[in-house]
Amino acid sequence: MADEDLGLMAHLLRRAGFGASREELEAYAAKGYDEVVEDLVDEERCPPIDEDIIKRYFGGEGPDFRSGAWIYRMINSPRPLEEKMALFCHHVFATGFAKVAHALAMSDQIDLFRRIGMSNIREILLELSMNPAMINWLDNNENIKGEPNENYGRELLELFSMGVGNYTEDDIKNCALAFTGWTYAQPVPLYPHGYYSPEFLFRPEDHDYGEKTFLGHTGNFNGDDIIDIIVEQPATARFISRHLYNFFVADEPQVPSWNVTPPQDPEAIEILSDAFMESKGDMRHVLRTLFKSDFFKAARFKRVKSPAELIAGVLKLVGTYRTPTPGMPRYHRAAKLMGQELFNPPTVEGWHTGQEWIDGGMLTERINFAVDEVSDASKPGIQALIKRLRAAGDSLTPEQFVDTCLDLAGPVTLEDKTRADLIRFAQSGGDLVFSSNGSANGETDESTDRIILMLQLIVASREYQFA
Amino acid sequence: MGRPYGLLRAGFPFHKTLGMRRLTNYPIDLALGKEDRLFILCRSEGTALIRKYSTEDADLGSIGIYGDEPGQVTWPVTILADADENLYLTDEALHRVTIIDSEGELIDSWGEEGSGPGQLNGPAGMTFDAEGNLYVVDSLNHRVQKFTREGGLLGGWGSYGCGEGEFNMPWGIAVDELGDVYVADWRNDRVQKFSADGEFKMAFGTSGCGDSEFNRPSGVDVDRHGDIYVVDRGNNRVQLFNEEGRYVQQFIGDATLSKVAISYMMTNAYPNRLRDMAKLEIQKLLRWPQSVVVSEDGLMYVPDTGSYRVQVYRKEAVELNELQFAPPRRAPALNI
Repeated sequence: MADEDLGLMAHLLRRAGFGASREELEAYAAKGYDEVVEDLVDEERCPPIDEDIIKRYFGGEGPDFRSGAWIYRMINSPRPLEEKMALFCHHVFATGFAKVAHALAMSDQIDLFRRIGMSNIREILLELSMNPAMINWLDNNENIKGEPNENYGRELLELFSMGVGNYTEDDIKNCALAFTGWTYAQPVPLYPHGYYSPEFLFRPEDHDYGEKTFLGHTGNFNGDDIIDIIVEQPATARFISRHLYNFFVADEPQVPSWNVTPPQDPEAIEILSDAFMESKGDMRHVLRTLFKSDFFKAARFKRVKSPAELIAGVLKLVGTYRTPTPGMPRYHRAAKLMGQELFNPPTVEGWHTGQEWIDGGMLTERINFAVDEVSDASKPGIQALIKRLRAAGDSLTPEQFVDTCLDLAGPVTLEDKTRADLIRFAQSGGDLVFSSNGSANGETDESTDRIILMLQLIVASREYQFA
Repeated sequence: MGRPYGLLRAGFPFHKTLGMRRLTNYPIDLALGKEDRLFILCRSEGTALIRKYSTEDADLGSIGIYGDEPGQVTWPVTILADADENLYLTDEALHRVTIIDSEGELIDSWGEEGSGPGQLNGPAGMTFDAEGNLYVVDSLNHRVQKFTREGGLLGGWGSYGCGEGEFNMPWGIAVDELGDVYVADWRNDRVQKFSADGEFKMAFGTSGCGDSEFNRPSGVDVDRHGDIYVVDRGNNRVQLFNEEGRYVQQFIGDATLSKVAISYMMTNAYPNRLRDMAKLEIQKLLRWPQSVVVSEDGLMYVPDTGSYRVQVYRKEAVELNELQFAPPRRAPALNI
């Protein structure tokens, strides 16, 4: 199997999923790139994750428990793009526990995103508008005839569909009026017997049935009429395409600057927008176009990994939590320390991405996390990696040692200087010579110690922070 | 005392609700102690405690048991109490059985991870037999093993599969007064009955949500009449079967507010207003129950895991003799 095939497949799986173990990667590569893209975008071609197992073993009330179970899904789902699109939606249609304060409503929303993330934009925006967590988050439960609250109407246009500069203040007001009466039924409150899921409720008596003009269209619009108009706008195609580009291809500037800062690759946005418009916002079609494009294939290591991507990717590498195991909430807390508290994005804008994932403190957290995870030679992924290294020969030169580790840990591509530094470090220990009894049982010997050290250096590298 | 010839089933009404959020979060099992004491086992990720409780809804304190040190449990599944109120716990994460006294002090702990004889992988259900030995459902090894209280292996049976005597991640287990063993065969959506030494006797249930159908049954118990109670977890209910495995009725939940809940809500004006705005029928329903415990006096305790409480039902049945209960017949009749 060509290294290039594996490298490209690893790139695809880092972006369309959360990485892959070496065994998974080779199985994917054997299928061929285009076939794997089809498996990813047409999730029904692969079995779903074992929901029975999740229900049996994972319990807990708060967001950290629920997000821990989500990270388990990220690692283990045979449908990785489903989870990635749920994360995409969580990022773009950001809703936070800090205000919603209802863990079940939040996890219901993530379940919704998992279910509809790869449908079409009309369904996504319609379900979003009917989602109790979102309704609460942006106050649409207080948006009633005669006393409109424009918060949801504004963000629907500004952050969820078209972006600033493509509508007027009057459009916002009329959009908000169209969503009057879109609320949720009061759920049974938390005390004394726990959360109950809130459900959407349309209250006709609170809806403004008057005539509205929106983006040049006039009528007695309800919310779904507004969404019909929104999804036909080229601005929506461009805005969602830019979000997809930022999430899957390469880091863009932060969203608030998009109305003044052009995309770094206008041609790519055009290709995605065209796919969006010709398919009437079919996300599967747009994603298929994206993953098969030359601009995607050429974008290796052009994005800073989000904390969720980093954590799930490292766990894939070390091979833990592939079956139910206590402790998943610790990874929620790890992501929080790295600046991405799942279930609780900082604002309705979602998380700032790219270089903003990295500051002194968060970089330290990221590196410490990854280094700590690869430090245990008994972990199954590390054991498998050592076994493959041994299979490469009884003795490896420093260059072979470094390059094989880089290959098996990703493949990870380093800048020449970083690679040279690693080789220089490896040279200080001479050739990597495996003892005859090996280290398959997890006991450390000198070669194992050196491999662990090399892995620590790799995951601590600047390049490893990129997807 | 033997089983009655027949039963006049007068009813099985809901009796009471015990517990509430904060006191009994995620109750997964309970053990009946002395003097109307209950030991309610509560588990969620990162938390495990035993709430000592009275059948009159009084909090008698708790024992924090979470951890992986001796005397602690990480993922407990079952709690049993012996005559001295020593508590026996399975731990499906640490693959062992832990025994503590009613104050939480370690008495014993045994079990090691593995698939060999006497080893455990994900121990789940556990029950005493009449001699005080322990049947342990060795879930991820798809078998049942029998141990002395000290952990000495006495035997076992089962392997992975869906045939007679085979299991797919079994969960709950019960022993009746005749010594027969009932296993909730979780992923095969059935209950299997065996003799004390593992001879297959019968099975009932299939996948689904109708009568006698299961969606991942997790718990099972048997009362002194031979009635079999099966927690149909995925369908959020308990189904009752007679000793032959014939469906009798189901319990989907009937909870009212417990005493402690009423007391708590008296000083919480805002949630009381929200409750008044909500449809409350739904809160009656069981949510993800996983075990059931039946007492000698006919009370059925269902830890209502998702609703942080225990729902209690009371069996009303009159025992019938041969003169009061006609012989078995196959055909239905309309003439009376």
